[in-house]
Amino acid sequence: MAEQGRRTPRPDRPMYYEIRIAGHLGVEWMEWFGGLTITQEPDGDTRLTGVITDQSALYGLLRKVRDLGLTLLAVNLLTDPYDRSLDDCSNTQSKE
Amino acid sequence: MSAALLSTKLYIPPPRPNAVSRPRLLARLHAGLHGRLTLVSAPAGFGKTTLVSAWVAECGRPVAWLSLDAGDNDPTRFLTYLTTALQRVAPDLGAGVLNALRSLPPPSLEALLTALVNELAALPTPSLLVLDDCHIIESVAVGEALTFLIEHLPSSLHLVIATREDPPLPLARLRARSQLTEMRAADLRFTFDEAVAFLNQAMGLDLSADAITALEARTEGWIAGLQLAAISMQGHEDDRAMFIDSFTGSHRFVMDYLVEEVLAQQPAAVQTFLLRTSILERMCAPLCEAVVGVDAGEGQAMLTWLERVNLFLVPLDNERRWYRYHHLFGDLLRQRLTASLTADDTVNIAALHHRASQWFEINGLLLEAFQHAVAAHDIDRAAYLIEGDGMPLHFRGAVTPVLTWLAALPVHELDAHPNLWIAYASALLFVGQMARIEPMLQAAEAVLPADPIDAEMRDLVGRIASIRATIAVSQHQAETIVTQANRALEFLHPHNLPVRTATTWALGYAYELQGNRLAALRAYTAAVAAAESIGHFIMHLMSMLGIAHIQEADNQLHQAAASYRVALKLAGDPPLPAASGAHLGLARLHYAWNDLAVAEEHARQSLHLARQLENTDRFLACEVMLAQLLLARGEVAAAWAQLVATAQAAQRPHLIRMLPEIAAAQVDVLLRQSKVEAAAHLAQRHALPFCQVRVHLAAGDAASALALLDSLRTDAEAKGWQDDLLKVTVLQALAHQAQGETEPALRRLAEALTLAEPGGFIRIFVDEGASMAQLLTTAAAHSVMSGYVCKLLEAFPTSALPLADDRGSDVVPRPSPLPEPLSSRELEILQLIAHGLSNQEIGDRLFLALDTVKGHNRRIFEKLQVQRRTEAVAKARALHLLPQQ
Repeated sequence: MAEQGRRTPRPDRPMYYEIRIAGHLGVEWMEWFGGLTITQEPDGDTRLTGVITDQSALYGLLRKVRDLGLTLLAVNLLTDPYDRSLDDCSNTQSKE
Repeated sequence: MSAALLSTKLYIPPPRPNAVSRPRLLARLHAGLHGRLTLVSAPAGFGKTTLVSAWVAECGRPVAWLSLDAGDNDPTRFLTYLTTALQRVAPDLGAGVLNALRSLPPPSLEALLTALVNELAALPTPSLLVLDDCHIIESVAVGEALTFLIEHLPSSLHLVIATREDPPLPLARLRARSQLTEMRAADLRFTFDEAVAFLNQAMGLDLSADAITALEARTEGWIAGLQLAAISMQGHEDDRAMFIDSFTGSHRFVMDYLVEEVLAQQPAAVQTFLLRTSILERMCAPLCEAVVGVDAGEGQAMLTWLERVNLFLVPLDNERRWYRYHHLFGDLLRQRLTASLTADDTVNIAALHHRASQWFEINGLLLEAFQHAVAAHDIDRAAYLIEGDGMPLHFRGAVTPVLTWLAALPVHELDAHPNLWIAYASALLFVGQMARIEPMLQAAEAVLPADPIDAEMRDLVGRIASIRATIAVSQHQAETIVTQANRALEFLHPHNLPVRTATTWALGYAYELQGNRLAALRAYTAAVAAAESIGHFIMHLMSMLGIAHIQEADNQLHQAAASYRVALKLAGDPPLPAASGAHLGLARLHYAWNDLAVAEEHARQSLHLARQLENTDRFLACEVMLAQLLLARGEVAAAWAQLVATAQAAQRPHLIRMLPEIAAAQVDVLLRQSKVEAAAHLAQRHALPFCQVRVHLAAGDAASALALLDSLRTDAEAKGWQDDLLKVTVLQALAHQAQGETEPALRRLAEALTLAEPGGFIRIFVDEGASMAQLLTTAAAHSVMSGYVCKLLEAFPTSALPLADDRGSDVVPRPSPLPEPLSSRELEILQLIAHGLSNQEIGDRLFLALDTVKGHNRRIFEKLQVQRRTEAVAKARALHLLPQQ
């Protein structure tokens, strides 16, 4: 039985991802990371979340993480039950 | 590409003056020199470049350095820079490779890498090659090139790779064989002691052990972090403890925190300078002044100061002219710039890029001007800059950034700027992607008026036709070439010489294909003049080759040789692969003059160069030439074997048009072997009329031969084809002789001799064998052109000559024969001596040991009864053993 709200991943489809890095980044970094939502976690990590256009765009973002010397902790495809509506959400659309 | 930028990529960063010494790391690096590869793989800001530059300064070996950037994902550019970098340790290395990279299309990467690797094996001293910022390489082709390089690395070259991520190379294999030394983040982090040395000594702070421990914990030994923290603390004289508390107590990303700290401490002018110049990949003082908007002189003062306070400024040359920011610092500044500008700001990022673009254009650095125009999203300006002031950017080594940008543009922008459709087509033509071009040309035509009045638009229409003509050239479609080329020349701007020249050459080629030699010569001559006037030496070379072909076809052999030699000179040294056509032409000419050794040398050179040209049938023609040489030497079986192999190799769709030429050579071999039926079959199958004539003669059917020759003659006379006319006349003489018709035979022979003598033809007679020898002897007896005839008779192998007693030859002025005639090998050597070659060169050319050559020389001198080379040559000439000069 398919999980509620999770679509089969495909390399060409926009998907809702979470990227976790060590250290806090402020909201002023949103544009640098293609419009992803920036959330500072109490444990000192930062979550970057949002719809990413496709796999190539994802790797582009990971490269930015690499180039800043940020420590990459996790990359997750989210199974948020609300994400069907988030697919249409244009303000989190990656510009990459 | 400007020379200034070229050298900055190759600049070896000198060791940092106040750098912390890291002897344990240096010792490990030294120990690793016995292996093939040193890999320094760690995130940005871990001191990779600092460490490697400190190491190479004291490694005691010659060092080549290449700092990679995004443009090096283009294989041609990568290999160009790689070879140029290696020339710092071996100045003569790779000249051939660099030359070959300039040809169109460029040869295969693997062929070039093989050539390079072979040259590297001959490095006199063990050397080092450093590739910095290797993570930038994403291209599969370049990645494979690197793998190839590592797998074939000679022991004289050690490779050092500095990168932010492990490269896609066979690292596990290298590790297993102990060929790999690795320095990773864990190795590169400052230890506590190193942090002490850095903070307290190099940066002049006076921190307690606790403070340093806290800082080290917070930064995790990250050097860039410690450096920025130190700079920040230098500004926080009074409240260091508070700074340390705040810093260590914060969760904020270290670099983000510190850059803000450091910037906040700076005067506004410095902040503005740092933020605005962050858009630049590389900067010099005047460029900074233009971008930031400050007065002349302030830029240099600022750069000098930034370097002195260690604010992540990296010098790119010894003159302190060009700099860049440390990549990490630059990225952080760029992010701050983006975040700091609001919508109201008059100076937004596009404006900064625009200023940079203008500065680069004024200073003649058009590729960079283009890249900043693209970054400014200024399509109009980018479209204008792509034209590169007459020579488009994609012809100047920038084809990848141009294609990347064009591919990303929305169609409506291309429609709005039709010259971009044409640039796109032209760039694709440059990289050989023919199939995608026509739709683009049609898209351009859709938005252009059919018969424009405006000169610029007419030029665009002309360029479209010119591209179509060039595609038709690659497909050998003469009619299309003529139509499109003429159309192009009608519409092209009179000042657009580069395209006009190429189009005129294409027209010449079309006429040559159609056999219209006069028109071809006219076009090629016009193309030469145009090419010379703009210094377009490749077009000049190709047009000279065209002229040479026509001269050769007109039996003007000496003029053709002169033209081929001009072409060779244009091809440079080491030669462009396009020179293969010149060598093949010279091979044919020297063959015609019976200079077989020289002909073979040229044929081999041509073949060697032809192999570097992809997708052409040139190498087949070279192999046919070599087979003909074997046949001329009497090595019949070897000639046959060569031609069988060549015919086999020609069985590919783009090569089959060479099959008739190969078959014609095979017919010659078969007739020499008296296999008349097989020869007839081949001649029939490939419709080879001259071969059919020879087959008839061999079969004893002179009547059919003469009938066919009559129609061939009519044809040749109608078309004005001198080469065919000569061939026909020679064969007519033989056919008449075969029928016992001596008078007509001698008349035709005299005709042929008259046609042939100005060009110095010899082989065309000798190749006809004993029957021609007999006819010539008869002619000599009738005092027909005795000088030339004598010379021809001397060229026949003695077996073909009729016996001296046979013809009552007292009347014939035969030169006194040598008591012991020279062997064919000795004659070969004598010819080379006459050409001025040293014994060593003769040995190289004929694959003989030096002593063997000397031995032959002794025998030659004995037989000729002379003491030295000059005498030998003179006597041989007097005896008609060598052609007169």
